[in-house]
Amino acid sequence: MAGGAVSLSALAKQFGDFVAVAGIDLDIPSGEFFSMLGPSGCGKTTTLRMIGGFEKPTSGRILLDGVDVTETSAHRRPVNTVFQSYALFPHLNVFDNVAFGLRRARVDKTNVRRRVATALELVGLTGREHSKPIQLSGGQQQRVALARALILEPAVLLLDEPLGALDAKLRKNLQTELKALQKTVGITFIYVTHDQEEALTMSDRIAVMCDGRVDQLGAPREVYEEPSTVFVADFLGVANLLPAKVVDSNGNGGCRVRLGETELDAGRGDTATRGDAMLVVRPERVFLEEHGSAGPNRVPGMVERVVYLGPAVQVVVRLAAGGTIQALVQGTSDELRWRQGTPVHAHLPGDALRVLTSREPEIAPAGDDQEEKR
Amino acid sequence: MSVVLPVRAPARGGRLSRRLRRTADNPWGRPRFLGAVTWLYMAWSIVPVVIAIQFSFNAGRSLTAWQGFSLSRWYWGDPINSVFKDPALQHALLQSLKLAGLDVLIAVPLGVSLALGLARWRGPGAKAANFLMLFPLVTPEIVMGVALFLVFLHLFTFIHPGTTAQLLGHVTFSISYVVIVMRGRLFSIGRDYEEAAIDLGATHWQTLRLVLLPLLVPAVLASAIIVFAISIDDFVISSWLSCGSSCDTVPINVYSAARQAPLPSINALAAMLVYITIGVVLIGYGLYRLAMRGNRGSLADLGV
Repeated sequence: MAGGAVSLSALAKQFGDFVAVAGIDLDIPSGEFFSMLGPSGCGKTTTLRMIGGFEKPTSGRILLDGVDVTETSAHRRPVNTVFQSYALFPHLNVFDNVAFGLRRARVDKTNVRRRVATALELVGLTGREHSKPIQLSGGQQQRVALARALILEPAVLLLDEPLGALDAKLRKNLQTELKALQKTVGITFIYVTHDQEEALTMSDRIAVMCDGRVDQLGAPREVYEEPSTVFVADFLGVANLLPAKVVDSNGNGGCRVRLGETELDAGRGDTATRGDAMLVVRPERVFLEEHGSAGPNRVPGMVERVVYLGPAVQVVVRLAAGGTIQALVQGTSDELRWRQGTPVHAHLPGDALRVLTSREPEIAPAGDDQEEKR
Repeated sequence: MSVVLPVRAPARGGRLSRRLRRTADNPWGRPRFLGAVTWLYMAWSIVPVVIAIQFSFNAGRSLTAWQGFSLSRWYWGDPINSVFKDPALQHALLQSLKLAGLDVLIAVPLGVSLALGLARWRGPGAKAANFLMLFPLVTPEIVMGVALFLVFLHLFTFIHPGTTAQLLGHVTFSISYVVIVMRGRLFSIGRDYEEAAIDLGATHWQTLRLVLLPLLVPAVLASAIIVFAISIDDFVISSWLSCGSSCDTVPINVYSAARQAPLPSINALAAMLVYITIGVVLIGYGLYRLAMRGNRGSLADLGV
């Protein structure tokens, strides 16, 4: 099976006065595992539904392998969907559910039987042909939904948070399986999720969406390591966001940033800017040192809270400059050194400090609600 | 090891009131009061029906004095006055069954289509239509009856009082019930199944036939039962649109007989209505259970 290339141009959708999707341009090459990631209400599901043919775009075009399908009705598009609710027909058994699409396409009986068997084997459900959906577990239902959509050999498979209803462990397993399945069948997958970990582990590329727009488009590593907006930095993983002022170039490709009383070197992001900006640093790149330790890029503070996370310890430090910063301390012995009230210096390496000037985050920067996302 | 017994406060009041208080305070006790109220209500509502049915088996001609048991006299035994021998009573029974049966056959398909349209209709007018749908429900039946009578008298003069007019009247108010039951089911089903079917290449017609209707079967049965039950005991509309004694339904016949010289045969007639309605409900429920096999949901889910 060959995957289809999807191309969206200036795709927009309005519901009354509400702008759900505000003009999206995307090019998804054939065979890619593409994710649309964002909080609820960011327009990712609406975009998916427009590609599937369930919503009529207000404006813009949808091209599939170069053919304009904007006006094609849903049942004629070579695109199939795995719904969040699975939407397995409750009155039909597994076989009839999976065979539904083939029968609509008037495939003859022998071929239906053969292809259903192949599809069920692909998702590991051979032998469950005669079960009703209600007799299956959530994970099995999800697989039936996959088989039912894949059996039609669509050019593109749309997945609307297909793992959302499953428990964490099962979700992890199915993530790996889905990725492997996509490799096997070679179909373009367009995957909608609000779970950043899911998007990071499976995708070839991710579009991080916010307010009906694509904020950043790139490989998982790129969007995580090099977020281009404060929103992306904040949405993917945990980020420390510190309001600061860029004062000068550091003559080394980076810039000098004033954070409270301290001046720091920042080597990444929009280092050419001057004035108010947001400093972003990942907790795993913050190093805690004894109070008074010398060196550049150190800011003083005091340990406010120590949270045990299992493989690591999260230390929240209240900075003398105001606000808090999170540090992720790996290993075991270190946790004893940092107790509530210990004065420390946080080392923020220049190559881990990103300067971002674009959109403000919706929640207060560097506030206490940062760690809620853990 | 010593066990410390809790020190009880000295009991006040008599032994009985103490027991009562303990019963009332026990959170795990059976809800006796609620149970009693429920059973009282059941008895209260069933007793009149039981008495009416009992007198249909009266051996004598009285509706009030028990004169011995006769299984058949007022059903088919009496050569002149029993239900199966008196042509007027027989006709009334047939007329009632005819109206109720045709009402089910017409109102249910119409109501289902209407509900489908209303539930999926987006745009101006949808809200108003949804609201107007409830009108026949909240309109007093007598108003509805008079209005229909006048409409057939002055506006649609080609429809004369008679079975057709009665049937139209029944269908008019039955549809609302069907729509309400069906819409509840449609909303609880949601749009996902339809979209999934269309996504898999089904046309709208195939989606309706292969996915939506099978999922709606329980609600269709429930609304058929309701329509049958409300049609068969309708009095007001049937009587306004009646063409005289040849259009009499069971309720009309019982009503007029009761004002003249009532015989236990009207009890027998009314009792047969009860038997038939119970029979229809049981058959409907059986079919409903059959349709719901392996299907999530319950009667409550249909608003029944």
